[in-house]
Amino acid sequence: MKEFPVLFGPGDALMGVVTSPADGPSVPVACVLYNMGATYRAGPRRINVKIARQMARLGFTSIRFDLSGLGDSAPPVDPKGFMAQSVLDLQAAMNTVETVLGIRRFIVIGFCSGAVNGLAVAQLDPRVIGLLMFDGFSFPTGRVLKERNLRRLLALPFNPAVREKTMRWLRRKVNAQAPDIFSYEAADAGMERYREAVTRLLERGTAVLALYSGTLQAHDRGRDQLSLLGDAQLLQRIDYRFVADIDHTLTTVASQRIFLQLLGDWAVALAAPGPAAGGDPGASTAQRAANMPPLVRQHRSAPDAADAPAAMSMSGAPLRSG
Amino acid sequence: MKPMLFGTPERRLMGLHHPAESRPEVRLAVLLCPPLGQEQIRTQRLYRVLADRLARIGIDAFRFDYFGTGDSAGDEEDGELEGWQRDIGTAHAQLQRLRGDRRIVWLGARLGATLAAQAAHLVPDAPARMVLWDPVVDGAAYVEELRAAHVDAIEQSYCIPDRGLRRRLADEPEAFTDDLLGFFAAPALRRQLRDISALRLPLAPVEDTTVLADPDNAPVARWVEGQRSGEVPVRLAPFRHPLVWTSDPHPNNAMVPAEVLQRLQAELRE
Repeated sequence: MKEFPVLFGPGDALMGVVTSPADGPSVPVACVLYNMGATYRAGPRRINVKIARQMARLGFTSIRFDLSGLGDSAPPVDPKGFMAQSVLDLQAAMNTVETVLGIRRFIVIGFCSGAVNGLAVAQLDPRVIGLLMFDGFSFPTGRVLKERNLRRLLALPFNPAVREKTMRWLRRKVNAQAPDIFSYEAADAGMERYREAVTRLLERGTAVLALYSGTLQAHDRGRDQLSLLGDAQLLQRIDYRFVADIDHTLTTVASQRIFLQLLGDWAVALAAPGPAAGGDPGASTAQRAANMPPLVRQHRSAPDAADAPAAMSMSGAPLRSG
Repeated sequence: MKPMLFGTPERRLMGLHHPAESRPEVRLAVLLCPPLGQEQIRTQRLYRVLADRLARIGIDAFRFDYFGTGDSAGDEEDGELEGWQRDIGTAHAQLQRLRGDRRIVWLGARLGATLAAQAAHLVPDAPARMVLWDPVVDGAAYVEELRAAHVDAIEQSYCIPDRGLRRRLADEPEAFTDDLLGFFAAPALRRQLRDISALRLPLAPVEDTTVLADPDNAPVARWVEGQRSGEVPVRLAPFRHPLVWTSDPHPNNAMVPAEVLQRLQAELRE
């Protein structure tokens, strides 16, 4: 495995780390990892580092980086608004991997509010062939919410942790504390916009994996988090997974292993020749292939696997090496 | 800010250098030694902003990740204290290569402070000064803190958490010691952490050491008093701050409390 830090984007304001397999990428797809809320590019519990290295073992390249103004990335010189800027930042990350390693197909992995950024860039950029949204958009019906609350109510007498969570929730309501802008409840992008965006992606042949954890609910009777969409055909086309044993920030090593396995299996199937996992089952392989950008082309400036740079600036400004 | 890889090929470390922007008459450089695990995630932004501020007032700053942490090479399974002490030495040497014309001060937070205190005995050219913020001087208590924080984090995170967690925390001393808030701790590291003790944490006789700690932190106060009785130049400075070391960043616990930034700048500038 080779890793090197990179400064990129306008004015080299964005900071990231590229990870690639030791012998060079054997899979012509790269993963794009970025901030969950305000946590820096390593991710909660350092999960982005673990993802990048696991994917390198599977032959994938990754770039993990900080969006403008977060972690080690500088604020933008000409800010565009958070969502528009994050789309530009994500594209800059993809441009960097394409320039350095010649890879033109990407899997974007968005955690929580990052799912909103991920969906936005996936719509705009056909290089995105896969989008994982983890605890992202949530449109549960009243039935789902009532069932969740009933389960919590039934657990209350027997579970001190549930009692304490309930008391904390009540205290927050009473004290009217600052809104948690980085909470796991995704920004309200609007259900119709979500429906349109995902439909467009699926028609393009982009694989969409909507993954939900045991933080939002304890049980899932069948695509509960998207049940309000009410569109059975669309729901069936989204690769929807609920894993009760993992939580929103992958607090335990065990939950991280489950997540890594799931992601690895999905990505490998997606990158393999033939029908893509999570893609539109109605589209033929030819149609999906026709919608995909060309595969890896050799690029003169791509570093040889044995000579990964100690650091790289995309603007060409000198960086010190150790 | 300039990122870089340094160290040996077998132990590549990630570093970030913040070159001083002006004021050539200031001849100081600061090495920032991070805490461990979730505490490192929590303080990343604070360290970044602090390094920027120091650079603006003419002080070079160098941040880095220990092997098996952050962006450095290595897996969490490889993490252990002696290797991390050597990593501080390696980072110190790197900063000397970058700015050998400057006096180097080490700032360590939490376990980073403990590691800095230990590493100061190992480097051929000791730092000019050390600022040790909330050092861990009782490793067994620290592990218990992390175990409790781990269970609390799981309980807060799951919709309906497992009600057996607290029983295991109380009845099984080894439960949740290999998984400290989502960061794997190998058996060797667990032993080393529990072995940390004020009795086995002598301060190296650098010119001056400042220990910043809550005035109610009795173990740290006793440790400092013990060092002073051995005529080591050290002072204990009270520092109460709102940072919750093991929390996730969220609006009700500021990521970069202004008072923390100001205090650390002031202590490092002296």
